[in-house]
Amino acid sequence: MDWIKRSASLGLGVALAFVLAASAWLHGGVGGDLAAEQRQREAILLANAMVASLAGADAPAAARRLQRWKSEHAALESARLVVGRELVASTLADDAAPRGLQREEKPLFDLANELRAAGETNVGEGAVRKKTIRVDGGRSGPVTVSVPYRVDGKVEGMLQAVVRPGLPEAAPSRADRAAASAALPLGLLAAAVVLGAFLRVNVERRFDIGRGVALLALLAAGLFYQHNRLGQMTEGIAASEGHAARLQAAAAATFVGAGGTAPADAASPWDTDAYGRPLGLVASDGRALPKTGAALDSHVRFLQRSFWALLAAGAGLLLFFVQGFAARTAAALAAHRVAYAYIAPAMIGMLVLVFFPFFYGIALAFTDTTLFNEQQPFRERWIGLGNFFAILGDFDIVKTTVEGTVVNYQNFYWTLMMTVIWTVTNVTVGVTFGFLLALALNTEGFKGKTVYRVLLILPWAIPNYITALVWRGMFHPQFGVINQFLQMLGLEPVRWFDGVVSSFMTGLVTNGWLSFPFMMVVILGALQSIPRDMYEAAEVEGATRWQQFKRITLPLLRPTLVPAVVLSVVWTFNMFNIIFLVSGGEPGGANEILITKAYKIAFEQYQYAYAAAYSTVIFIILLAYGYFQTRVTRATESY
Amino acid sequence: MSLGRPKNPLWLHAALISFTLLTIYPVLWVLALAFSGQQSVGIVDLPKDPAFLDRLRGVLPWPAQFSLKNFVDVMTEQPFGRWLLNSVIVSLLTTALGVFLACTAAYAFSRFRFPGRDQGMLAFLVSQMFPGTLMLIPLFIIIVKWLGLGNTFWGLIIVYATTAIPFCVWMLKGYFDTIPVDIEESARIDGASPQTIFFRIILPLAKPAIAITALFSFMTAWNEFILASVFMESEANYTAPVGLRFFVGGFSSQWGFFAAGSVIVSLPVVILFMYLQKYLVSGLTAGSVK
Repeated sequence: MDWIKRSASLGLGVALAFVLAASAWLHGGVGGDLAAEQRQREAILLANAMVASLAGADAPAAARRLQRWKSEHAALESARLVVGRELVASTLADDAAPRGLQREEKPLFDLANELRAAGETNVGEGAVRKKTIRVDGGRSGPVTVSVPYRVDGKVEGMLQAVVRPGLPEAAPSRADRAAASAALPLGLLAAAVVLGAFLRVNVERRFDIGRGVALLALLAAGLFYQHNRLGQMTEGIAASEGHAARLQAAAAATFVGAGGTAPADAASPWDTDAYGRPLGLVASDGRALPKTGAALDSHVRFLQRSFWALLAAGAGLLLFFVQGFAARTAAALAAHRVAYAYIAPAMIGMLVLVFFPFFYGIALAFTDTTLFNEQQPFRERWIGLGNFFAILGDFDIVKTTVEGTVVNYQNFYWTLMMTVIWTVTNVTVGVTFGFLLALALNTEGFKGKTVYRVLLILPWAIPNYITALVWRGMFHPQFGVINQFLQMLGLEPVRWFDGVVSSFMTGLVTNGWLSFPFMMVVILGALQSIPRDMYEAAEVEGATRWQQFKRITLPLLRPTLVPAVVLSVVWTFNMFNIIFLVSGGEPGGANEILITKAYKIAFEQYQYAYAAAYSTVIFIILLAYGYFQTRVTRATESY
Repeated sequence: MSLGRPKNPLWLHAALISFTLLTIYPVLWVLALAFSGQQSVGIVDLPKDPAFLDRLRGVLPWPAQFSLKNFVDVMTEQPFGRWLLNSVIVSLLTTALGVFLACTAAYAFSRFRFPGRDQGMLAFLVSQMFPGTLMLIPLFIIIVKWLGLGNTFWGLIIVYATTAIPFCVWMLKGYFDTIPVDIEESARIDGASPQTIFFRIILPLAKPAIAITALFSFMTAWNEFILASVFMESEANYTAPVGLRFFVGGFSSQWGFFAAGSVIVSLPVVILFMYLQKYLVSGLTAGSVK
């Protein structure tokens, strides 16, 4: 045991294992992405070439040409040509083409229409905005690719091909490759552990040579591994470029055989992205073009950047061990194991369901996650501060149009202003009514105090979502009891949720009703704790009631009132249920507060990341409020 | 306050009575709807051209005829009974899980001195400041997408239980602190194991505090609306709050069912609250009056 403590073996081993494992995991992920992209690319190439070869063919000719493609390209599993409602040609015998599409094949018809619409949009806008090629699959199994079928430049239907691209690295078996890729890191790890055994670490000293050597060894081994993997990746890319080039040459041969004239463009017109734009990586005859993949650069840059972060984390881990923190932590864990065992269940729950979601939410704010792209890996969704710029940098609050001045209710600053007004008015109402009622109930010898108190506390006891829905019913513009009352007095009924101010009033009334009992109870409790002889002494001195109130009651209420007000500011600021259930932010989102707005962005517009950024801004605002509140409170406490 | 003035001024009573009536009016309104036996949002059906008296009848919280139809229908014809049962299951399991987790953690915080104790207590406190919607999206992703617990009771239960933990831990720790350590020490001398001390001595002594914590956990789960509406997709798994909104949200307006359901849901909570509120308030203000 002591030997382990004195040598750097354990620390170096753990740190290096962490760096290597994390690095291998990242490389595996990127490698998988690249392989998938490559498979999709080859499938698109093949499908584009096929659909080009069908130009000017009638149904039987199209079927013959498709059969020719199928026989000459082993990767092609099947191909179907859909024009309008007809399945014109198919390589599948079961399809019995040509025939009309059946009801269960409606997705094919829809997809063809979608691709045509996308192509027409792009032509109409003179820009490339919509994908004209649909690719499904790529990670494993066959790739299904659908490309538009054009006759005289007009999209008439689509060709759907199922392709199983054979990748160049299929030659050695899986197990062999796994063994080969595991040999290097394991060797490095063993070397590090052996080296670590020779390095003496003296925990008591602040720094010694052993620790320096261990750190250098970690850096060297990590860099060596990274370099090795990057080299492998570049080789793999080159191999797949070669494969794509060969496929292009073979496709060109089939194309000529099927009666087409070989394309003369320098860059292959078939090797395109999903928008139909040529990638410009291979020539029409299959020669590789000098342009290297820009996509590769971004992958490499990502790997390098994250690798430095990994190394830093690894170095931290190493220091954790060699500086003796690990030993101390282990000793503490062992010495207090009963205490930690008691804490563990609650702590794990809190970590998984409170702290992790919190930090995950903040991380989400830096991405562009929506409902539709959440399957993508996290690193591809990362956009940095974009959401925050979009939220905070949008000052487009008031627009002047021909119809007059229009306020943009979706703007953050409008919502922020409404939230502040909402909070200030509500807390003012709550404190005022709570204060008055508490003073009234605190009158000495007042009869019926208990009855009043129980009845007045009722709004606090009822679940607030029920309260909100009840008031929504009472504010009903047509049958609501409040409008009935107004009409009874001979007034005009109010369409409560149609105006910005009236809609705001519904929320204010509901929340005011809901929140005054809390203030009343808190203030009443504080009032009752003020010793009565203070007032008696003041009376003897000849102080007026106003003077008593100002000099005795208010100062003694302060310690209770301040936290209660702070608490109720935070509650009101985040009072989701009332706004959401009573007015729903009507009209047109004008009465939305920040928290309901964030909810709607997330669960009605499915902009998860944008909503997370919104919530982060809310959290920062509340933190800032808490900070300044404590400072102001401290500053004024002295009087 | 003063010695010479009348103790029960009439104007004060008048003001308080009118304010109290105003305060309990919404409650009476719900009761009137619940016992009216019909579904509309108005208490009585008004004629085409209502006179003053008709309007007055529409405003007074007194139904045209008393009937228990809404209560019977909401439990039998509507799936409300099922939703109520869901809420009961979720709330009870939340209570059991939450109280167990809170008791063990609070005991450790109260009785042991170990590295990380103060930081742990602080972390529990700080977690109360995290805004709900910031947690909502990640919780949705974790519970529904990763753990696959969307539309199940367990998804709600574990989230509710952990949400309630910090308050419960602080509350229980305060109570544990008041139990003399001598009792445990004499038990230890008699040869009792830490588990025996915790389960046989400490927990029975802390019964009152545990009762309060349990009720708090129960009410957290019973009154929660947002998470439940996000997590529960199929109608059969709704909890009572989501179901109540279902009656009157969107384009449906079954106000009779809503009113009857609200009364059923609120009654236990209101009674518990009335019984408990002095503890809640003392907990809130204890820290401030130093």
